[in-house]
Amino acid sequence: MTVTHIPPLPVRDKAAGRALSPMLTRLAEERATGVLVREHGVLHLAEGRVVHAESPCSPGLGVLLTAHGTLATAAWQQAAAHTTSPPRAAELLLESGLLPVGALELCHLDALYDAGYFALAPSSTPGRFRYDHTPRPGPLPSVPVVALERETLRRRLLLHRLWPDPAADSAPLIRADPPAPAPLTPRQRAVLDRVDGVRTATGIALDLGRQAFHTLVDVRRLAAAGRLAAAPGAVPDPVPPYPPPVADPDIALLKRLRDALEAL
Amino acid sequence: MANTETALKEALTTIEGATGVALVDYTSGMALGTMGGSKSFDLNVAAAGNTDVIRAKMRTMEMLGLKGEIEDVLITLTDQYHMVRLLKSRGGNGLFLYLVLDSSRANLAMARHQLKRIEEQLEV
Repeated sequence: MTVTHIPPLPVRDKAAGRALSPMLTRLAEERATGVLVREHGVLHLAEGRVVHAESPCSPGLGVLLTAHGTLATAAWQQAAAHTTSPPRAAELLLESGLLPVGALELCHLDALYDAGYFALAPSSTPGRFRYDHTPRPGPLPSVPVVALERETLRRRLLLHRLWPDPAADSAPLIRADPPAPAPLTPRQRAVLDRVDGVRTATGIALDLGRQAFHTLVDVRRLAAAGRLAAAPGAVPDPVPPYPPPVADPDIALLKRLRDALEAL
Repeated sequence: MANTETALKEALTTIEGATGVALVDYTSGMALGTMGGSKSFDLNVAAAGNTDVIRAKMRTMEMLGLKGEIEDVLITLTDQYHMVRLLKSRGGNGLFLYLVLDSSRANLAMARHQLKRIEEQLEV
Protein backbone atom coordinates (compact mmCIF):
# COMPACT_ATOMS: atom_id res chain seq x y z
CA MET A 1 0.00 0.00 0.00
CA THR A 2 1.36 3.36 -0.92
CA VAL A 3 0.70 6.36 1.13
CA THR A 4 0.37 9.43 -1.01
CA HIS A 5 1.41 12.63 0.55
CA ILE A 6 -1.53 14.97 0.44
CA PRO A 7 -0.51 18.61 0.55
CA PRO A 8 -2.50 20.66 3.02
CA LEU A 9 -5.32 22.69 1.58
CA PRO A 10 -4.50 26.36 1.27
CA VAL A 11 -6.07 28.34 4.06
CA ARG A 12 -6.74 32.01 4.14
CA ASP A 13 -4.33 33.91 6.36
CA LYS A 14 -6.65 35.39 8.96
CA ALA A 15 -3.99 37.68 10.38
CA ALA A 16 -3.35 39.35 7.05
CA GLY A 17 -5.06 42.73 7.16
CA ARG A 18 -8.41 43.48 8.68
CA ALA A 19 -10.33 43.60 5.44
CA LEU A 20 -13.90 42.47 5.96
CA SER A 21 -13.95 40.85 2.57
CA PRO A 22 -10.65 40.22 0.79
CA MET A 23 -12.63 39.80 -2.40
CA LEU A 24 -14.13 43.26 -2.03
CA THR A 25 -10.69 44.75 -1.41
CA ARG A 26 -9.42 43.14 -4.60
CA LEU A 27 -12.43 44.37 -6.56
CA ALA A 28 -11.83 47.91 -5.32
CA GLU A 29 -8.17 47.68 -6.36
CA GLU A 30 -9.03 46.57 -9.87
CA ARG A 31 -11.76 49.25 -10.05
CA ALA A 32 -14.35 46.62 -10.90
CA THR A 33 -17.90 47.34 -11.99
CA GLY A 34 -20.59 44.85 -11.11
CA VAL A 35 -22.61 43.32 -8.31
CA LEU A 36 -21.19 41.54 -5.25
CA VAL A 37 -23.72 39.12 -3.77
CA ARG A 38 -23.03 38.08 -0.19
CA GLU A 39 -25.10 36.05 2.23
CA HIS A 40 -26.79 39.02 3.92
CA GLY A 41 -26.84 41.60 1.17
CA VAL A 42 -25.66 42.94 -2.13
CA LEU A 43 -23.18 45.68 -3.00
CA HIS A 44 -23.25 47.43 -6.36
CA LEU A 45 -19.83 48.64 -7.46
CA ALA A 46 -19.00 51.12 -10.19
CA GLU A 47 -15.30 51.54 -10.94
CA GLY A 48 -14.42 50.08 -7.57
CA ARG A 49 -16.68 52.38 -5.55
CA VAL A 50 -19.89 51.40 -3.82
CA VAL A 51 -22.83 53.13 -5.50
CA HIS A 52 -25.69 51.20 -3.92
CA ALA A 53 -26.31 48.47 -1.33
CA GLU A 54 -29.30 46.34 -0.49
CA SER A 55 -29.99 43.87 2.28
CA PRO A 56 -33.07 41.94 3.37
CA CYS A 57 -32.15 43.02 6.93
CA SER A 58 -32.48 46.75 6.32
CA PRO A 59 -35.20 49.01 4.92
CA GLY A 60 -34.49 50.29 1.44
CA LEU A 61 -34.21 53.84 0.15
CA GLY A 62 -37.93 53.92 -0.68
CA VAL A 63 -38.93 53.17 2.92
CA LEU A 64 -36.57 55.79 4.36
CA LEU A 65 -37.81 58.43 1.91
CA THR A 66 -41.53 57.79 2.36
CA ALA A 67 -41.78 56.91 6.09
CA HIS A 68 -41.38 60.47 7.35
CA GLY A 69 -43.33 62.39 4.78
CA THR A 70 -40.29 63.44 2.73
CA LEU A 71 -41.96 61.95 -0.28
CA ALA A 72 -45.45 60.62 -0.99
CA THR A 73 -45.54 56.82 -1.24
CA ALA A 74 -47.39 57.07 -4.55
CA ALA A 75 -44.63 59.23 -6.03
CA TRP A 76 -42.00 56.69 -5.03
CA GLN A 77 -44.00 53.76 -6.38
CA GLN A 78 -44.51 55.54 -9.66
CA ALA A 79 -40.81 56.33 -10.01
CA ALA A 80 -39.84 52.79 -9.01
CA ALA A 81 -42.20 51.33 -11.61
CA HIS A 82 -40.51 53.33 -14.35
CA THR A 83 -36.95 52.41 -13.41
CA THR A 84 -34.85 49.35 -12.74
CA SER A 85 -33.36 50.08 -9.32
CA PRO A 86 -33.88 52.37 -6.30
CA PRO A 87 -30.97 54.70 -7.20
CA ARG A 88 -32.42 55.16 -10.71
CA ALA A 89 -35.82 55.88 -9.20
CA ALA A 90 -34.22 58.46 -6.92
CA GLU A 91 -32.51 60.10 -9.89
CA LEU A 92 -35.82 60.32 -11.70
CA LEU A 93 -37.42 62.01 -8.68
CA LEU A 94 -34.48 64.39 -8.48
CA GLU A 95 -34.86 65.35 -12.13
CA SER A 96 -38.57 65.93 -11.70
CA GLY A 97 -37.85 68.22 -8.75
CA LEU A 98 -39.92 66.21 -6.28
CA LEU A 99 -37.02 65.79 -3.87
CA PRO A 100 -34.46 68.27 -2.54
CA VAL A 101 -30.97 67.10 -3.39
CA GLY A 102 -29.67 67.35 0.20
CA ALA A 103 -32.41 65.13 1.61
CA LEU A 104 -31.95 62.58 -1.12
CA GLU A 105 -28.18 62.46 -0.69
CA LEU A 106 -28.48 61.81 3.01
CA CYS A 107 -31.21 59.17 2.66
CA HIS A 108 -29.10 57.48 -0.01
CA LEU A 109 -26.02 57.44 2.24
CA ASP A 110 -28.14 56.26 5.20
CA ALA A 111 -29.51 53.36 3.16
CA LEU A 112 -26.12 52.51 1.65
CA TYR A 113 -24.20 52.34 4.94
CA ASP A 114 -27.11 50.55 6.61
CA ALA A 115 -27.39 47.78 4.00
CA GLY A 116 -23.59 47.69 3.69
CA TYR A 117 -23.30 46.93 7.40
CA PHE A 118 -25.39 43.78 6.95
CA ALA A 119 -23.93 42.86 3.57
CA LEU A 120 -20.47 42.83 5.15
CA ALA A 121 -21.56 40.84 8.21
CA PRO A 122 -19.65 37.58 8.74
CA SER A 123 -21.10 34.98 6.40
CA SER A 124 -20.99 31.22 6.11
CA THR A 125 -20.93 31.16 2.33
CA PRO A 126 -18.46 32.79 -0.04
CA GLY A 127 -19.50 35.93 -1.87
CA ARG A 128 -20.00 35.95 -5.62
CA PHE A 129 -19.20 38.77 -7.97
CA ARG A 130 -20.83 39.34 -11.30
CA TYR A 131 -19.09 41.74 -13.69
CA ASP A 132 -21.82 43.87 -15.09
CA HIS A 133 -21.96 47.32 -16.56
CA THR A 134 -25.34 48.28 -15.15
CA PRO A 135 -24.08 50.02 -11.96
CA ARG A 136 -22.76 53.42 -12.92
CA PRO A 137 -21.85 56.46 -10.91
CA GLY A 138 -24.88 58.76 -10.91
CA PRO A 139 -25.52 62.15 -9.33
CA LEU A 140 -25.81 60.50 -5.91
CA PRO A 141 -22.60 60.20 -3.88
CA SER A 142 -20.66 56.94 -4.11
CA VAL A 143 -18.53 55.62 -1.29
CA PRO A 144 -15.00 54.17 -1.42
CA VAL A 145 -14.82 50.54 -0.30
CA VAL A 146 -12.38 51.40 2.49
CA ALA A 147 -14.79 53.98 3.89
CA LEU A 148 -17.64 51.45 3.99
CA GLU A 149 -15.40 48.84 5.62
CA ARG A 150 -14.10 51.32 8.20
CA GLU A 151 -17.60 52.48 9.07
CA THR A 152 -18.89 48.89 9.31
CA LEU A 153 -16.09 47.98 11.72
CA ARG A 154 -16.78 51.10 13.77
CA ARG A 155 -20.47 50.19 13.94
CA ARG A 156 -19.71 46.65 15.07
CA LEU A 157 -17.49 48.00 17.80
CA LEU A 158 -20.14 50.53 18.85
CA LEU A 159 -22.78 47.81 19.26
CA HIS A 160 -20.32 45.64 21.16
CA ARG A 161 -19.57 48.49 23.55
CA LEU A 162 -23.27 49.14 24.19
CA TRP A 163 -24.12 45.52 24.99
CA PRO A 164 -21.85 42.66 24.00
CA ASP A 165 -24.54 40.02 23.42
CA PRO A 166 -25.76 39.96 19.79
CA ALA A 167 -28.70 37.63 20.59
CA ALA A 168 -31.29 40.42 20.35
CA ASP A 169 -30.11 41.53 16.90
CA SER A 170 -31.94 38.88 14.92
CA ALA A 171 -34.37 37.09 17.28
CA PRO A 172 -38.00 38.01 18.02
CA LEU A 173 -37.99 40.37 20.99
CA ILE A 174 -39.91 40.31 24.25
CA ARG A 175 -40.25 42.95 26.93
CA ALA A 176 -38.63 42.61 30.33
CA ASP A 177 -39.47 44.43 33.53
CA PRO A 178 -36.48 45.72 35.45
CA PRO A 179 -37.09 46.72 39.10
CA ALA A 180 -35.97 50.31 38.64
CA PRO A 181 -36.35 51.25 34.98
CA ALA A 182 -34.24 54.08 33.67
CA PRO A 183 -36.04 56.80 31.69
CA LEU A 184 -36.30 56.22 27.97
CA THR A 185 -35.73 58.59 25.11
CA PRO A 186 -38.66 59.08 22.71
CA ARG A 187 -36.81 57.07 20.07
CA GLN A 188 -36.29 54.16 22.43
CA ARG A 189 -39.93 54.30 23.55
CA ALA A 190 -41.05 53.98 19.93
CA VAL A 191 -38.89 50.85 19.59
CA LEU A 192 -40.07 49.35 22.89
CA ASP A 193 -43.72 49.98 21.99
CA ARG A 194 -43.30 47.67 19.00
CA VAL A 195 -41.74 44.80 20.93
CA ASP A 196 -44.44 42.11 20.84
CA GLY A 197 -42.73 38.72 20.98
CA VAL A 198 -42.95 38.37 17.21
CA ARG A 199 -41.11 41.29 15.64
CA THR A 200 -37.35 41.26 15.26
CA ALA A 201 -35.19 44.38 15.22
CA THR A 202 -35.42 44.41 11.42
CA GLY A 203 -39.22 44.21 11.61
CA ILE A 204 -39.30 47.15 14.02
CA ALA A 205 -36.99 49.16 11.76
CA LEU A 206 -39.28 48.56 8.77
CA ASP A 207 -42.33 49.48 10.81
CA LEU A 208 -40.75 52.73 12.01
CA GLY A 209 -39.09 53.51 8.70
CA ARG A 210 -35.75 53.82 10.44
CA GLN A 211 -32.41 52.38 9.53
CA ALA A 212 -31.91 48.85 10.84
CA PHE A 213 -28.53 49.68 12.39
CA HIS A 214 -30.04 52.61 14.29
CA THR A 215 -32.71 50.27 15.59
CA LEU A 216 -30.00 47.83 16.68
CA VAL A 217 -28.39 50.66 18.66
CA ASP A 218 -31.67 51.25 20.49
CA VAL A 219 -32.28 47.51 20.93
CA ARG A 220 -28.84 46.92 22.43
CA ARG A 221 -29.25 49.92 24.75
CA LEU A 222 -32.67 48.65 25.84
CA ALA A 223 -31.20 45.16 26.35
CA ALA A 224 -28.41 46.66 28.46
CA ALA A 225 -31.02 48.53 30.54
CA GLY A 226 -32.94 45.26 31.04
CA ARG A 227 -36.03 46.49 29.18
CA LEU A 228 -36.08 43.82 26.48
CA ALA A 229 -34.55 40.48 25.60
CA ALA A 230 -34.47 37.91 22.84
CA ALA A 231 -37.47 35.61 23.15
CA PRO A 232 -36.30 32.47 25.01
CA GLY A 233 -36.04 29.35 22.90
CA ALA A 234 -36.58 31.32 19.76
CA VAL A 235 -34.35 30.17 17.00
CA PRO A 236 -32.76 33.31 15.60
CA ASP A 237 -34.68 34.22 12.51
CA PRO A 238 -32.66 32.75 9.68
CA VAL A 239 -31.95 35.58 7.33
CA PRO A 240 -33.68 34.85 4.05
CA PRO A 241 -30.98 33.99 1.54
CA TYR A 242 -30.66 36.70 -1.00
CA PRO A 243 -31.92 35.45 -4.36
CA PRO A 244 -28.89 35.08 -6.58
CA PRO A 245 -29.91 37.09 -9.62
CA VAL A 246 -27.54 35.36 -12.01
CA ALA A 247 -27.53 32.21 -14.04
CA ASP A 248 -24.32 32.88 -15.89
CA PRO A 249 -21.05 31.11 -14.99
CA ASP A 250 -19.60 32.17 -11.70
CA ILE A 251 -16.52 33.90 -13.01
CA ALA A 252 -15.12 34.87 -9.63
CA LEU A 253 -15.31 31.27 -8.39
CA LEU A 254 -13.76 29.92 -11.59
CA LYS A 255 -10.92 32.43 -11.28
CA ARG A 256 -10.27 31.36 -7.72
CA LEU A 257 -10.30 27.71 -8.75
CA ARG A 258 -7.83 28.40 -11.55
CA ASP A 259 -5.55 30.31 -9.17
CA ALA A 260 -5.70 27.46 -6.65
CA LEU A 261 -4.94 24.84 -9.32
CA GLU A 262 -2.04 26.88 -10.65
CA ALA A 263 -0.66 27.24 -7.17
CA LEU A 264 -0.47 23.45 -6.68
CA MET B 1 -31.36 74.56 -2.14
CA ALA B 2 -28.03 73.27 -1.04
CA ASN B 3 -26.48 69.86 -1.02
CA THR B 4 -24.38 68.75 1.91
CA GLU B 5 -21.04 69.52 0.34
CA THR B 6 -22.01 73.03 -0.70
CA ALA B 7 -23.37 73.82 2.74
CA LEU B 8 -20.27 72.52 4.51
CA LYS B 9 -18.03 74.43 2.12
CA GLU B 10 -19.99 77.58 2.78
CA ALA B 11 -19.66 77.11 6.53
CA LEU B 12 -15.92 76.68 6.24
CA THR B 13 -15.34 79.60 3.89
CA THR B 14 -17.78 82.20 5.21
CA ILE B 15 -17.55 81.71 8.96
CA GLU B 16 -14.55 83.61 10.27
CA GLY B 17 -12.07 81.37 12.09
CA ALA B 18 -13.71 78.07 11.03
CA THR B 19 -11.14 75.28 10.71
CA GLY B 20 -13.44 72.27 10.33
CA VAL B 21 -17.08 71.36 9.95
CA ALA B 22 -19.00 68.09 9.88
CA LEU B 23 -22.59 66.91 9.45
CA VAL B 24 -23.12 64.03 11.85
CA ASP B 25 -25.86 61.45 12.45
CA TYR B 26 -26.00 61.18 16.21
CA THR B 27 -27.47 57.72 16.58
CA SER B 28 -24.71 56.01 14.66
CA GLY B 29 -22.05 58.68 15.23
CA MET B 30 -21.24 58.66 11.54
CA ALA B 31 -20.11 61.83 9.80
CA LEU B 32 -22.21 62.11 6.65
CA GLY B 33 -19.91 64.81 5.39
CA THR B 34 -16.80 66.59 6.63
CA MET B 35 -14.75 69.53 5.45
CA GLY B 36 -11.55 71.01 6.81
CA GLY B 37 -9.87 69.41 9.81
CA SER B 38 -6.24 68.36 9.66
CA LYS B 39 -3.94 65.41 10.18
CA SER B 40 -3.89 66.10 13.89
CA PHE B 41 -7.63 66.81 14.10
CA ASP B 42 -9.68 63.93 12.68
CA LEU B 43 -13.23 65.21 12.21
CA ASN B 44 -14.61 61.66 12.00
CA VAL B 45 -13.30 60.90 15.48
CA ALA B 46 -14.60 64.21 16.80
CA ALA B 47 -18.00 63.51 15.23
CA ALA B 48 -18.37 60.11 16.86
CA GLY B 49 -17.18 61.42 20.23
CA ASN B 50 -19.52 64.40 20.27
CA THR B 51 -22.57 62.18 19.83
CA ASP B 52 -21.92 61.10 23.43
CA VAL B 53 -22.01 64.73 24.53
CA ILE B 54 -25.40 65.25 22.89
CA ARG B 55 -26.76 61.98 24.20
CA ALA B 56 -25.70 62.79 27.76
CA LYS B 57 -27.37 66.19 27.59
CA MET B 58 -30.55 64.72 26.11
CA ARG B 59 -30.73 62.06 28.81
CA THR B 60 -30.28 64.70 31.50
CA MET B 61 -33.08 66.78 30.03
CA GLU B 62 -35.27 63.69 29.88
CA MET B 63 -34.57 62.95 33.56
CA LEU B 64 -35.32 66.54 34.53
CA GLY B 65 -38.52 66.40 32.54
CA LEU B 66 -37.54 69.40 30.42
CA LYS B 67 -39.65 69.65 27.31
CA GLY B 68 -37.53 72.10 25.34
CA GLU B 69 -35.25 71.00 22.55
CA ILE B 70 -31.52 71.58 22.34
CA GLU B 71 -30.75 74.25 19.75
CA ASP B 72 -27.02 74.33 20.07
CA VAL B 73 -24.16 73.47 22.40
CA LEU B 74 -21.00 75.51 22.82
CA ILE B 75 -17.75 74.14 24.19
CA THR B 76 -14.91 76.56 24.80
CA LEU B 77 -11.33 75.29 24.90
CA THR B 78 -8.31 77.45 25.60
CA ASP B 79 -7.70 78.03 21.90
CA GLN B 80 -10.80 76.70 20.14
CA TYR B 81 -14.55 76.86 20.16
CA HIS B 82 -16.59 73.79 19.29
CA MET B 83 -20.16 74.46 18.28
CA VAL B 84 -22.83 71.80 17.86
CA ARG B 85 -26.14 72.67 16.21
CA LEU B 86 -28.92 70.08 16.19
CA LEU B 87 -31.24 69.50 13.28
CA LYS B 88 -33.72 66.92 12.08
CA SER B 89 -33.38 65.09 8.80
CA ARG B 90 -36.29 64.13 6.59
CA GLY B 91 -35.09 60.56 6.96
CA GLY B 92 -36.23 60.85 10.58
CA ASN B 93 -32.74 60.85 12.05
CA GLY B 94 -31.30 63.33 14.46
CA LEU B 95 -28.35 65.13 12.91
CA PHE B 96 -26.00 67.82 14.12
CA LEU B 97 -23.67 70.27 12.51
CA TYR B 98 -20.32 70.35 14.25
CA LEU B 99 -18.16 73.42 13.80
CA VAL B 100 -14.59 73.94 15.00
CA LEU B 101 -13.40 77.53 15.36
CA ASP B 102 -10.04 79.09 16.10
CA SER B 103 -10.90 81.23 19.12
CA SER B 104 -8.33 83.93 18.30
CA ARG B 105 -10.04 84.67 14.97
CA ALA B 106 -13.66 83.77 15.57
CA ASN B 107 -16.59 85.98 16.41
CA LEU B 108 -18.78 83.73 18.49
CA ALA B 109 -22.11 85.53 18.12
CA MET B 110 -21.59 85.94 14.40
CA ALA B 111 -20.57 82.29 13.95
CA ARG B 112 -23.66 81.11 15.80
CA HIS B 113 -25.87 83.28 13.62
CA GLN B 114 -24.19 82.08 10.42
CA LEU B 115 -24.40 78.44 11.39
CA LYS B 116 -28.13 78.87 11.96
CA ARG B 117 -28.48 80.38 8.50
CA ILE B 118 -26.56 77.51 6.91
CA GLU B 119 -28.82 75.06 8.69
CA GLU B 120 -31.84 76.76 7.16
CA GLN B 121 -30.40 76.39 3.66
CA LEU B 122 -29.47 72.79 4.18
CA GLU B 123 -32.42 70.75 2.96
CA VAL B 124 -31.74 67.53 4.78
